[in-house]
Amino acid sequence: MVNDFGLFVTTDTAKCTGCRACEMACFQSHNKKRNSVGRTVGTITTPVTAKLYVTVIETASMPIQCKHCENSPCKAVCKQQAIIRFGHQVIVDENKCIGCKDCLVACPFGAIALLPYYDKGQPVKQVGSTENKVAASKCDLCLDDADGPACVRACPNEALSVSDINEERKKKNIAAAEALAVINAGAPERRQL
Amino acid sequence: MTVIAIDQDLCTGCQECVKVCPNLAIEGVPHKPQTLVEEKCVMCGQCVQKCKSYVSVAEHGFGAYEKVRKARGLPPTVTEPLFAAYNVCHLDEVLKALDDPKVETWVQSAPAVRVGIAEDFGAPLGTLAAGKLAAALRRIGFNKVYDVNYAADVTIMEEGSELIDRVTNKGLLPMFTSCCPAWVKYMELNYPELRHHLSTTKSPQQIQGALVKTYGAKNQKTDPKKIYSVSIMPCTCKQFESSRPEMADSGHRDVDVVITTRELAYLIKLKGIDFLNLPEEKFDLPMGDYTGAAEIFGVTGGVMEAALRTGYELITGKPIPSVDITAVRGPEGYREADIQVGDLTLKVGIVTGLKNVKPVLEALKAGKLDRHFVEVMTCPEGCVTGGGQPKLIVDKDFESAYKSRTDATYVHDKELPIRKSHENPSVKKLYETFLKKPLGEESHKLLHTTYCGDPKHGHGH
Repeated sequence: MVNDFGLFVTTDTAKCTGCRACEMACFQSHNKKRNSVGRTVGTITTPVTAKLYVTVIETASMPIQCKHCENSPCKAVCKQQAIIRFGHQVIVDENKCIGCKDCLVACPFGAIALLPYYDKGQPVKQVGSTENKVAASKCDLCLDDADGPACVRACPNEALSVSDINEERKKKNIAAAEALAVINAGAPERRQL
Repeated sequence: MTVIAIDQDLCTGCQECVKVCPNLAIEGVPHKPQTLVEEKCVMCGQCVQKCKSYVSVAEHGFGAYEKVRKARGLPPTVTEPLFAAYNVCHLDEVLKALDDPKVETWVQSAPAVRVGIAEDFGAPLGTLAAGKLAAALRRIGFNKVYDVNYAADVTIMEEGSELIDRVTNKGLLPMFTSCCPAWVKYMELNYPELRHHLSTTKSPQQIQGALVKTYGAKNQKTDPKKIYSVSIMPCTCKQFESSRPEMADSGHRDVDVVITTRELAYLIKLKGIDFLNLPEEKFDLPMGDYTGAAEIFGVTGGVMEAALRTGYELITGKPIPSVDITAVRGPEGYREADIQVGDLTLKVGIVTGLKNVKPVLEALKAGKLDRHFVEVMTCPEGCVTGGGQPKLIVDKDFESAYKSRTDATYVHDKELPIRKSHENPSVKKLYETFLKKPLGEESHKLLHTTYCGDPKHGHGH
């Protein structure tokens, strides 16, 4: 079927333990090439910067990550055009980001953080300065990874999945229709009313 | 002495570590920081391997990493993420000894270190780097680059002879291997009444330690008081083993300090050594001379196979038909094999992953365990999967890492010119000139031990 909306990752909170394996996998996936991250933690030479944020509350835990909003407030407020739509996904171009925080203010979920930005194992410097750059960091659905979102694959409890909201809605529609059909079949007098 | 710890400020209470802990030593409720009960911890470090809850800029702020790194005594060159579950690092003690001109630093590394260490420099999982390991240790500045594999060959001479003695003289059977300190600790904690089933032979690390400051010192005309004995292990529990009060039979602390494979990688990076471009070098003689039998101590079934290679020839006086005893290999948690040794059918068992030992011990208690010799290793597939080995970023790499490290171990075994412990020329010389014979007077003094609860053992741990 045709997908008109941005895909995003959802969490089954009954399965999520809050272990942060998704964050480590996210970091690995995005830094294999750029910062030579290998298979073991000993190959990591930069701060770990994930694009999703495991949040633990009294009764549950889950990673909070970008929903790739259709009317993206982050994209709307970004004056640098550092947040763009690529296909149906909302993507940050770290090179254009000036760290103004407008997107952090605009995002109602806190799905964006300002984090250190590294390239070839070294901190990227601010333009015309010796100070280190920071950049908006949020889920890009691992667009560069042929195997799909690394977080989904790494979860030891299979709590994460890529949600196709249209497909989900249709499934719910069918379930609701089936439930109503059962009720109506069992109450023929209702049809006569 | 704290060996394994959980940082309360970092733990998210996911309890993934609880699932891998073999002795239910981690307690707490979901979504709250967990507590490690030291009295129950066997210090295997599998929680350290599993934990993903790291110090993060987003969660803990920009300054947090440095604070935790310093608190854990890690050198400033360490850049890798730091996690809630960790083992206490003793690298600062090694650095102090290396910098002290009055101290002779003698080092030994375990077989599993050479199939793990290169991974932390970006090499493929399970890259064999025995020659580069020797070269790196030399460039770090260790005065003698010896190897625990030498002592593994000695272990086989002692433990193999002990098994033959128990089998032929109606001694207590089955005999269990005793080279895994977390397993020994588990036995002492949970089944003290079965402790006499443990081989009295010390682990290779402690045999090397006891020999370094006696035979080794004599051999190299060095005052044993000057020797600082460093051990590099894939294991977080070996530091505990080395600090057991009784491990001082040389008249000194037999092994002064233990660091893990990961911590050796920190040390190599601290010294600015380009590990992957090092030349292939040899370990020093005589105590760095080793056989293929010693190398396979690093994998599950390896101690058993090494013991069988030697035991077969000592009992029958004939060469073993096949050096590769594949019947004892494999990753299964418990497996049995019956091996024909002359007229004797030797019944052996292999346990890997400490959770799998409980049914075996319960069978023994119920009089239903019909085995002569049982190998037990705590970690999932032996020492190559130890708590101190390079830590994988994602769990889905566990399987391929275990397999490739195991494969590399067997490759190294096959490429070595001698593959049976009793044929190691340096070990032969050790017996001719110093120990005289396995289970002899010197051996009993230096290479055998007692366990918690034994009369001469002294105070408990």
